This record gives sequence, C-alpha cells and structure tokens, in this order.
Amino acid sequence: MSGTQLRGRGLPRGRAWAVLCALTLLLLAPAVMAATSSGATPAGEAGGAEYRSAFGASSRVVVWVVAELHLMFGAFVLGVPIFASIVEVVGWRTGERRYDDLAHEFTKLLSAAFSTTAAFGGLLVFALFGLYPRFMAVLTGIFHETFYIYALLFFAEGFTLYLYYYGWERMQERWKGLHVVLGILLNIWGTLLMLLANSWASYMMSPTGIDKETLRFVGTTWQAVANPLWIPLGIHRILGNIAFGGFIVGAYAAVKFLGARSDEDRAHYDWMGYVGNFVGLSALIPLPFAGYYLGREVYSTSAVMGNNMMGGAFSWTFIIQAVLIGILFIGGNYYLWAGMGRIDGAERYQPYIKYINLVLLLSFAVWLTPRNIPLSGEEQMALGGQFHPLLKYLGLMSAKNAAVNFIILSTFFSFLLYRRGNKGEPRPFATHGRGGLVALGAAAAVSVGLLLWYGSSLLALDPRSLDLTAAQAVYFRPPALLLFGQAAMVLLTGWLTLRNRGKLAQALFFASTAAASVFFLGVYGFVIMEKANPFLRNVAVAQWLMVMVCLLWNTAIDVLLFRGADTVGAIRWGTMPARSQFALVLLCVTIVMLMGLMGFIRSGLREDWHIYGVLQDTSPWAWTPTNAYMMRVVGSIVVVFLGLISFIFWLAGLGERKREQGRPA
Amino acid sequence: MKRPFLGVVVFTLAVILALVGIAELVTRVSGEGGPRPAAALTSADITPEAGEAIFWGKGKCSTCHAVGSRGASIRGPNQGDSGPLGLPIGARAVERAKERSRATGRPYTVTDYLVESVTEPGAYVVEGFKNEMPDPTRPPISLKPEELRAVILYLQTLGGEPDPAAVRLPERLLAAAKGAPATQEWRPYLPGDQAKGEKLFFDADSNAACGKCHAVKDRGGKVGPELTQVAGTRDPKFIIESILDPSKDISSGYEPVLIVTKDNRYITGIVKKEDATHVEVMDNQAEIQKIAKAEIQQRAPQKTSLMPGNFKEILTVEEFHHLLAFVLTLR
Repeated sequence: MSGTQLRGRGLPRGRAWAVLCALTLLLLAPAVMAATSSGATPAGEAGGAEYRSAFGASSRVVVWVVAELHLMFGAFVLGVPIFASIVEVVGWRTGERRYDDLAHEFTKLLSAAFSTTAAFGGLLVFALFGLYPRFMAVLTGIFHETFYIYALLFFAEGFTLYLYYYGWERMQERWKGLHVVLGILLNIWGTLLMLLANSWASYMMSPTGIDKETLRFVGTTWQAVANPLWIPLGIHRILGNIAFGGFIVGAYAAVKFLGARSDEDRAHYDWMGYVGNFVGLSALIPLPFAGYYLGREVYSTSAVMGNNMMGGAFSWTFIIQAVLIGILFIGGNYYLWAGMGRIDGAERYQPYIKYINLVLLLSFAVWLTPRNIPLSGEEQMALGGQFHPLLKYLGLMSAKNAAVNFIILSTFFSFLLYRRGNKGEPRPFATHGRGGLVALGAAAAVSVGLLLWYGSSLLALDPRSLDLTAAQAVYFRPPALLLFGQAAMVLLTGWLTLRNRGKLAQALFFASTAAASVFFLGVYGFVIMEKANPFLRNVAVAQWLMVMVCLLWNTAIDVLLFRGADTVGAIRWGTMPARSQFALVLLCVTIVMLMGLMGFIRSGLREDWHIYGVLQDTSPWAWTPTNAYMMRVVGSIVVVFLGLISFIFWLAGLGERKREQGRPA
Repeated sequence: MKRPFLGVVVFTLAVILALVGIAELVTRVSGEGGPRPAAALTSADITPEAGEAIFWGKGKCSTCHAVGSRGASIRGPNQGDSGPLGLPIGARAVERAKERSRATGRPYTVTDYLVESVTEPGAYVVEGFKNEMPDPTRPPISLKPEELRAVILYLQTLGGEPDPAAVRLPERLLAAAKGAPATQEWRPYLPGDQAKGEKLFFDADSNAACGKCHAVKDRGGKVGPELTQVAGTRDPKFIIESILDPSKDISSGYEPVLIVTKDNRYITGIVKKEDATHVEVMDNQAEIQKIAKAEIQQRAPQKTSLMPGNFKEILTVEEFHHLLAFVLTLR
C-alpha cells in the first residue's frame, strides 16, 4: 500500500491532536488528585467546603450527566474493539475479506471516540473535585496509587490502538497473527482500565478495609480494589459492553442500509447489521445471569442494599428494566425472523415463529408482573386483599427465574431456526470422521462434567451453611437429581446424534431442559420459598446451568449436524424490509437507555451515602429521584450520546466520501 | 427511502419519549416519590405510630418483613397473622420468650424478646430463615435508641398492647448513643420542687422558659422536640446534658442547618419538610420559611443547636434542680 493510501485511511491530523489533548487532560487528572490527596482521611472529618454548585446547577445532575456520557463512550471504546477483534479473527480463519474490512471500518471510529471518552473523563474528574471535594479527598486518600496505573494503562491502550489501526494493511497476510494479537492486547488494556475504574465505583457500594468503630480506612489499596462487588460488576459490564457495541454496529448498518444507493452497498450493510445483531444478542443471552450474580453479591454485601434493590425503592425501576430487556429480546428475535425472509428455504420454519412469539410475550408478562402495587381500600376490597389470588405468584423471584430461562431458550431456538434456514438434510455423522467424534465428545464431556459437578455439590451441601436444619436438606435432592437426569440426556442425545438422529436429539434436549429448568424448578421454587428459602439461590443456579448446557450442547450438535450439508437456497443479502432496520435502531436506542438506567440503579442503591455506610451524603441532592425524573435525565443523556456518536460516524465517513469522489471513473 | 437519517432520528426520539412516558406511568402506578418524611423521630414522640413509620421507612424493616397482607417481602418472617406459629409478632413473642428463657436460663419477658430481636438479631433466628438481618443500630440504617423504642412499641401492637415502660434497651446501645460508658444509677445532688420546676418551664418570663420552644402534651411551642414522655425514654444524665449542653447531642430531626440563598439571605433553622424542589425551614421563632432549592447557593449542617447553650449560667443550682425534678416527671 502506498503512503498516500495509508494517510487516507489513517487518523486526520486534527483528530490526532484531539487525542493528544485528551491524553494530556487525563494525565493532569491524577496530578490534581494527588495534589488534593490528604492520605487516609477519616470519613467523618470535613475540611473546607463539603459541596459546591456549578453555575447554580444541581451538582448531582452535573456529575450524573457527565459520568453517564463518559461511561457510554467508555462502553463504546471497550465494546467495539471486542467486536472488531472477534470479527477480524473470523475473517482471518475463514479467509473472508469482508470480515476484515468490517473490523477495520469500526476500528476507524475508535480514535475519535477514544478522545471523546477521555475528554468526558477529564471533565468528570474536574466536576467531582469541584463539586464534591470532601468525598473526593476521601476517595483519593484510598485510591491515589491506582490513578497512576490508570494513566499508564491509558497510554498503553492509546499506543496499541494506533499500532493496531495504522498497521492494519501492513500486517496483512504474513503478519496477520501478530495483528490479531495486537487486537487482543488492545482489549486486555481496555478491560484492565475498566476494571480499575470499576474498583472505585464498586468500592463506593461495598467498602472494605474500614475500621467499624472509627469508620477510618485502615486497609491496603489492594483490599480496597478487590472489594466484594468488583468482579461481579466487571463481568456484568464486560458483557454489557459487548452487547452495547454489537447493537450500535447494528444501528450504524441500519442507517447506512436505508441510505444505500446500490444493491452492493445494501447487501454489505444488511450483512453488517446481521453480524452486529448476532454479537449483541450473543452477549445479551448470558447478561441476565451476570446480573443475577451481581445482584446476589449485592445482597451478600448488604442485605439492606439488596432488599432496597429488589423490594424497596428500586423495585419499580426493575419493572422498567424488564420493559427494556423485553424490547431487546423481542426486537432481536423479530430481526431474526425478518431475516428469514431473505433466506430461500427458511419458509419451512415460519410456522414455529408464532409459538416462539407467544412464549416470549407470556414470559415477559410474567417478568413484568409486580408483586405488590399500592391499592386503595376500595381496590383491595374488590380484589379480596392486597394481592391478586393468582398474579401474586408471578411477582415472586421463582416465577421470574423461570420466565427469563424460557426467554433465553426461545431466543436460542429462534437463532437455530435462522441458522438452518437454507440448509438441507444433514450428512451422516460418519462423514465428519474422527474430528467430528472428538468435537462431539469434548462438548459432551464439558456438558456432563458441569451438570454432575453442580448436582453432586448440591447433594454434599451442608444445610448449616444456609442456616437450614438437617431435615431441610431433603429439598436439595430434586434439583440435584434433575441435573443428573440432564447429564444422562446429554449422553442419550449424543448417542442419537451418532445414529444420525441429530434433529431428534436437539428437540429432546430442548424439551427436557425446558421441562426441568422452566416448568419443574419454576414451580419447585415456590416450595423452596415456603420450606427452605435460603436454598432458592442454589435452585436459580441449577436452572441457569441447565440452560447454559442446553445452549452449549445443542450448538455443538447443530454445528456438526449441518456441517457440509446441502443448501436448498441462497441468502439474498440486501433484500431486508426497511422495518427490520428500524428494529436494529430500536435495539440500539434501547440498550443505550438500559445502560443509563442500570447506571442509575448501581449508583442510586447507595441512597444517601457516598461510600455506603461510611461516608454519608449530606448534600441537598441526597434524595432518591422518582423513576419519572430518572428517565427524563437518562433520556436526555441518551439523546446527547447518540447525537455525538452520529457526529463521530459522520466524521469517520468524511474521509471515505473524499476517496470515493477522488476515485477515477 | 427518502431522508433515511431523518426518519431514524424521528424514530429514535419517539422511542425515547415512549420510554420516558412508561416511566411516568410507573411512577404514578407505584405511588413512589413525593416529599420525604418531614423529620426523624424525637425523643418525645415515641409512639407505635412513629414506630410504624420507621418500620416502613427509615428502618427498612419492610424490605424483609411483611405484616400480614401488607408488604410483599419474604426474606424475613411475616410479622402479622400469617407469620410463624400463625400468630403476629406481638402474640408469638409470648412463646418465643419462653423458648429464650429455656435456652439461656435467663428470664425473658415478651418485650425482652422483641428488644433482643431488634438489637441482637443473630441471638435467635427463626427456623427456615437465614441469620442475615443487619444490626439496625449500625450504618447504613443507624437507628437511634428512641427510634428503636418506637419500632418495638409498634411490634408490641401487632397482636399485643404497647408498653413503653417495659422497653429496656441494652446499656451498650444507650452508652454508644451518648458516646460515654454506661453509668451507675443516677441521683440528683439536690431534691427539686416539681411545682416550681413546672412554673420555670412554662413561665415565659422565667430564666428557663422552656415552654417557648418545647411542648408538653398540648401546651408549649413547636420549635424543639416535644417532651411529654421524655423521662420515660431518656435517662436523667442525658436530660441534664441536653439542658446544659444542648449542642452535644442534637435530637434527630432537629439538627440545624444554615442555608445561604443566591440573593445572600442567611437562614438558620430546622428542616421540617423537603421535596425535590423545595425545603421548608423553621427558625427559632417557629416561623416557617419555604425556600426553592434552585435558589440555594450553599447549605451547611450546623453543629450548634438552636437551643441556648447558657442555662448553666442563667439558672441557679436550685432552679436547675426544680426544673429537672419537673422534667423527670414527664413519662
């Protein structure tokens, strides 16, 4: 590639300056922090102003808006490299150049997004130190050493990004492996950066190293970093960022698709939208489980905070969250179903879709059912009590666990139908040779191993560890036996697959998983809530494990089943209806709103504490806003974020347009 | 498609507005929000009603415990009819007290069991539930002794009768609340005359004139805490300290605050009511001022009580003991 071409595909000089300025800002931040650091400051001591206001505005709203914008851009610059790396590896291994081009196209966006993220980060630091000086003095006293590591990681990420982007063309062919490693390194730096920043946020929720009597910090920096919510929050955010990146890519592709003037462009952006949706949905599927893990750890850290989350001031916020997640799953499924219209042969599976739709809608109805709503005396009289005689059960955790597992199974089923849309009859298993046997055996071993491990751990569970009596251990047996039963089903369906009855095997495994995880354990959960309530969380893990194994095992069977199978029709890329593209836009808007809402919940759970139970928020803004107020603020943030992201996409497209105009006829 | 980007922008805004609309609807259905409770409990109004408000509010008890069909929490035992033994907490405490007496060898009254349940939740855990109830006297809940008493009174009423005199909180809690170790039984230096003390209390021209700010039953002002039952809930040492050094321990809900408005008005008083947009402050003349939050430039909690701190200089030793004798009758 010529030097001219390189410059054309590289960073414009202005943007490079912006990146440099942002880096400088970020470097200044630790210096400011260090200057204001006062060592291990006792939480109760105040020095100077405790709070200030910026231009008469509410300090909380200022910090809320800036922090959320920083987080959204952060999610973008962390999610997109993960997306780009995955896509690049797929392109490298399959030899399909379009994947490589797609990864490159999105890496191009990163430089401008990176500098915007840093600029918002710098603004956030200034806002925090200016508006909440006492709180920041305490936090700096605990974390100041990590600030320098943060800055170094930022440098590492910045330089790796430049190498990754500028070296794209030079590292094709022979050096592609090294380029892939650079992409992975970029993600490692980014993830470490996120984890470090997460430690500050999670420490505010679950502080460690605190002397209970004096409320002074007496621990080490590492103790503060490795607080109980650090890892659960990290896992939740990583998955959230991947889904976020995927759906933003999908929306970008949708806008380009709608404006495309040639069939070639439409086909390209149709395919890009499909890949974005696929990545987004893939990360979305395990996300509820990561959320469950985080919620469980919140409970373990503070029952007060946990109860406030699910049964207190934030319980209705989770109803709104359920609406948003419902839109994501139903929208994602709708896009897949619309996509089947462009696959010849997929019409064979169309009749199933109405049933999947029904399952999704019913499951979401369960998820949305609140346990308790404020009723007037007359309404209670009409209802015969505080609760509806039937619906009250749907408001409990056990019903919601069953519903979310059913939603995930249904979405996975949708994807399998889409995947086999144009596939004909599978080839006999023997044609896959030893490799097929090894792959199937490995998937079976992992599946059976996981099921047996958790089943046996339930049988060996000491009831005293859950504050239950020995007699109550009898309730541990049914889920354990179901797990063993599912392990046996893996072996049975594996045998059927070897006997060329793979489709039957998949159907059987779907059915047994739904029966065990959704129906049996869903109902059994109510028994547990009545008889041995602390064991309910183990039941939830058993349900989750069965569903995850179903995804793993059925995918393994499906890949082998249709490997090399005849195709009965082609995929006509670019023939999607416009409404399907609006579904992609809907997914993008929804996940950005969801990110804003989850940020509110995470931060709001602390109520009137800066550092939970240690440093109280005595500012005039220490009250929990209503959901209506929250969504107005989050909605405004989302409008600003999407506007800025659109601007960045437009900026990135400027160079392309210039090249196209300069292209010889 | 013509102007696709414009279509996407309109669609995006419509989705955001729809989601904001859903949140508005949820807020109306759930009945959340509105002004915060005016103030926390004072030492003088320890009643089952106050305890009920704490149970369902600041104490966060309701996030784990339902009461009969009220509330939906199941993490802790239901405190109403549908609770363990099929009895509400005030009634089943009779059985629990017997159990605790057998287990510890110490005599337990019904109220002793309730006090233990609230102040030492891990001492006895109801079968089928985890030992996970937080200590409500510690952060983040941080209930004060008077608030604990009110909650226990409320629990007594669930199947029983309230009995304030039976509520004996552990000495460690009272000592911790006062920041001093537990003391021996207190006796005054001088015997005081209750009648003279009452006159000093209510006479606006006397050296004390406590009634200007404090009410006893329906007599007196509203600036400071009501003192109708103060001696039933506070020990003499605390009362003496509150008279002579009122800023040392300011009753919850009566912490003064200084507000500086953007037009440079300085307002000192007690926050009586607050919502998202306004704050209402009562000054030492019982005047209420409503201030828009948007007008506040600075808000700083004050460590000096609105109550004068010079009674040790303006009251004679005799007068002080007369006054004390009267206040100690307020049970």
